[in-house]
Amino acid sequence: MKSRKISRGLRDLLPPELKVRRFMEEKAAALFASYAYEEVMTPTFEYLEVVEIGTGGNIREELFLFMDREGGILSLRPEMTTGIARLAATHLRDAVFPQRLYYLSNSFRYVQPHLAQYREFWQAGIELLGAEGVRADAEVITIAVKALQEMGLDNFKISLNQIAIFNSLLDESGLNREEKDCIRSLVENKDLVELSRVLESLDIDDELKETIAILPVLHGGIEVLDRLPYVEKNRRALAAVQELREVYETLQLCGVIDHIVVDMGVLRGLDYYTGTVFEGYSPELGYGLLGGGRYDHLLGKFGFPCPATGFALGMDRLALLLKHPALQEAPRYLVGGKDFAAVIAQAEELRKQGFAVEIDVEGKSRQELERKLEGRENCITGGLIYV
Amino acid sequence: MYDDYLTIALSKGTLLEPTLEVFKKLKLPGEGIDDKSRSMVFTYDKERVKYIMCRPTDVPTYVEQGAADLGIVGKDVIVEQARDVFEMVDLQYGYCRFVVAVPEAIKNIALKDLNYKRAATKFPVIAENFFRSQGLQVEIIKLHGNIELAPLMGLADMIVDLVSTGRTLKENRLVEFIKIMDSTTRLICNRVSYRTKHQQIQPLIENMQKLSTGGSA
Repeated sequence: MKSRKISRGLRDLLPPELKVRRFMEEKAAALFASYAYEEVMTPTFEYLEVVEIGTGGNIREELFLFMDREGGILSLRPEMTTGIARLAATHLRDAVFPQRLYYLSNSFRYVQPHLAQYREFWQAGIELLGAEGVRADAEVITIAVKALQEMGLDNFKISLNQIAIFNSLLDESGLNREEKDCIRSLVENKDLVELSRVLESLDIDDELKETIAILPVLHGGIEVLDRLPYVEKNRRALAAVQELREVYETLQLCGVIDHIVVDMGVLRGLDYYTGTVFEGYSPELGYGLLGGGRYDHLLGKFGFPCPATGFALGMDRLALLLKHPALQEAPRYLVGGKDFAAVIAQAEELRKQGFAVEIDVEGKSRQELERKLEGRENCITGGLIYV
Repeated sequence: MYDDYLTIALSKGTLLEPTLEVFKKLKLPGEGIDDKSRSMVFTYDKERVKYIMCRPTDVPTYVEQGAADLGIVGKDVIVEQARDVFEMVDLQYGYCRFVVAVPEAIKNIALKDLNYKRAATKFPVIAENFFRSQGLQVEIIKLHGNIELAPLMGLADMIVDLVSTGRTLKENRLVEFIKIMDSTTRLICNRVSYRTKHQQIQPLIENMQKLSTGGSA
């Protein structure tokens, strides 16, 4: 017997799953286009050095690496944003900014595979390049909310944070680099037990300690921002808090505030993001649905300094939640008969009217075809036409 | 599977009793819980709380995947499995420590002489990471129990294991060579539940923190 193995963490997609996938993609593409975003595609693999400009070199064990014949090290793309940043820094230097780009693409990570986490995964996402400020952040978040709504999801929340609050507090804490890295890694790994222990041992302002300890768990409406006593003493952190308030107010204008919570615990990619960050969750799934934020330094690393913000939506995860998406399919007919010319004419006529037509290519009799139809009423919704 | 119950995964075995004591102090329900009974799910409709009874090594899996919102499990298991969960509270009980232990006969050996030796353990990840961090190449032999037997029978030169009193080591003529880390019981939380069930979870965490740092809930 021939081998039927596939590599771990990959999967085949069959028609029922792909129908849902294409439905989601169409909804996403239509929404993005309605906000004047245009689609781009980048290569499936890039040089490792390019990939690591985006990921900072700390996820090498999650990359699928291989070599080209000239000895260059290549990586399957682990996400889309870095490739798009490289694309913009190469091809869009003379373009009029802001540029609005979107993608529907697969990426690859060598992760432990399980439900909702595959080694090849699909994302729909946008990047808004060349726009600073609160309005750009709010546009991207609004589109994230609407994307989930368009696909038929109601029960979800977007957690909102401003990463500069945490970063400024840490930068001006007077700690040395090693201590800062330690705190960052504990916060990113969500080890709050060790975090409070490390903070206790450090010689810094008690109010600052308390603020750093509380940040990863502070969660609620905009009023949680009143619970940050130390922030008053840090000019940059204070400015970041003010900006977060403005994003929140702008999202009220955009009409999506019902889905927004302020969550100072959204502290991922601390080296990568520079401002507003957000993640989307549904209570029905133990994993995040989408994530994004402002990354003003990335394009600069490709020699083209340019502010940027965006998000990516995990299509595989979202598909698990869409039980009965409103798929629209043309009614399907089965057309058969002895006279094949007549069969073809009938089928063409129906197709012209917008129906899907399955031709009997085996020359079966009416009785045989009727028997074949039994149990397929949900599929051949138009029924049998015998000519 | 979404409902408005708070689901907590409990570790069967030695951690269960101190856990239930903590729950009692926090006024969480607890009647009829028993890890020897056949039932594995205990539901309390009035309090909207559900407990599931798991092997300790399964607790992080239930929590990471969202089948449970919270879990009670030892730090040893969390480190070994490196699951993507929030680690919220140190509950202090269930203390033990990870050690490298060697046969009494070679107790004065230098750390560098462990290079290219064999270590038997139930915790290959922790063992591997420790030796690597020391710049040592050590062959890890994964066993499922009675680790102390391995050096006696010549299967390994040393062991990496959890120790609480040290009695088992002594009985097998092994001595603690170096401590890798301490471990106590932790409250872990699913990253999405923490956000979607925040109203239920946050007060519970605060009370546990107060209790474990010596205050009253």
